[in-house]
Amino acid sequence: MSYLNITEVESAVTSLATAFPGTSELIDLPEPSVEERACHALRIGAAPSGTNDCAVLIGGVHAREWGSCEILIHLVADLLEAYDAGTGLGYGGTTFTADDVRKILRELDLVVFPLVNPDGRRYSQTVEPLWRKNRNPARSGGDPERIGVDINRNYDFLFDFATAFHPTAAPRVSTDPGDIVYQGPEPFSEPETRNVRWLFDTWPRTRWFVDVHSYSEDMLTVWGDDENQSDDGLQNFLNPDFDHLRGLGADVYGEFLAKSDADDSTVLAERFCAAVHGVRGRTYRAMSGYQLYPTSGTSDDYAYSRHIVDRRKGKILGFTVEWGDEAGGFHPPWAEMKRIVRDVDAGLVQFCLAALA
Amino acid sequence: MSSTCQPILRVRVHARDAETLRALLRDTRPDVGGIAHRADDGSCSIVAYVSPDQAEALEREGVSVTTIDDAAAKGRARQAEVGDGDRFAPADAVPHGLADKI
Ligand SMILES: [Zn+2]
Repeated sequence: MSYLNITEVESAVTSLATAFPGTSELIDLPEPSVEERACHALRIGAAPSGTNDCAVLIGGVHAREWGSCEILIHLVADLLEAYDAGTGLGYGGTTFTADDVRKILRELDLVVFPLVNPDGRRYSQTVEPLWRKNRNPARSGGDPERIGVDINRNYDFLFDFATAFHPTAAPRVSTDPGDIVYQGPEPFSEPETRNVRWLFDTWPRTRWFVDVHSYSEDMLTVWGDDENQSDDGLQNFLNPDFDHLRGLGADVYGEFLAKSDADDSTVLAERFCAAVHGVRGRTYRAMSGYQLYPTSGTSDDYAYSRHIVDRRKGKILGFTVEWGDEAGGFHPPWAEMKRIVRDVDAGLVQFCLAALA
Repeated sequence: MSSTCQPILRVRVHARDAETLRALLRDTRPDVGGIAHRADDGSCSIVAYVSPDQAEALEREGVSVTTIDDAAAKGRARQAEVGDGDRFAPADAVPHGLADKI
């Protein structure tokens, strides 16, 4: 075994859909990537699509974080195979019963999009291993050093960061196409980002969202633009009174997060971490995305912000996994990556069960 | 080809406090992996991916920079662990998860 190339991620998804026709459905994403590659996701569940609440899991957003695709492909394969055979799942010291597996398949719509950024992954696996962005050349001016948009800065959340944040907040986002965290010319300028939005729009019962990244062994909850607070609803990302004040943490501004959502997010993140720890003892930390400096335009904040911007939209609790440790970095040896896959898949199965509880 | 053969150093940046780290990130805009961590004594650290020149530019009062490895060289070596062809092309080839089915 080895890491999957982009052809193999695609064929893994299609072969799972073929092998388990009663419990899985191949989803054609509406837009090809910038380099015209078709994108696919899988919906798994024994009930008809839309019957149950939905969890959307995505990976392969940042090109160099190779193992995210493998984590999601193996997760789906485990669940489909165990449901079909009527077995449970054992990940080292963390185990799940056949009833646990049946509960997930029968009570949840699980939509898994394992490779959001195929062009970037291909480039990282064959040319520059540390490539992060997509491969959009539109704003490069022909300079190969200025290709690409950071998909996880391209969502519509505080996109105008120069207005949103305090001048000394040092947000990790840029308007410069040569920067590794280039946000793109406008929100959802990239087809890869629009595909993820399409999943939320197409499964309006989406209540949970997990974006799989690496690395630092963390399970991050919203928000990423500032520290959370649950006392003052006026301090929120839509309120222009707080422009140029956000992003410093522990000062005049904290991003409002309703207490019940803060509690629910923390419980889910902690259950994820506990299941990971049970596998072989790795310690992942549950915490909010803001740590010393802010971000804008990320997937998890966008997912949660949707119901605040538009009351007709359902509430989605957003999360970001950062798998792997410093020793392995973005590209652990495959033998170590397999252990990480088991860790994180155990965490994600537990996450689904905790969400349904 | 030039950009693909340059070393990209993975360095641990340790700053004496949060404001020092923020100022450093503002001024130098390095590619940082993962998120920053704060120690009990208030000091902060983060991993960055930088050219040898950029690594030197990170050095300043209140900041120490330690090189971990050449991440570009390591990553290029790891490219040998990426599948070629399509292991799932045969009609009966289906991915299996890594859990024990119990
Ligand atoms: Zn990432």
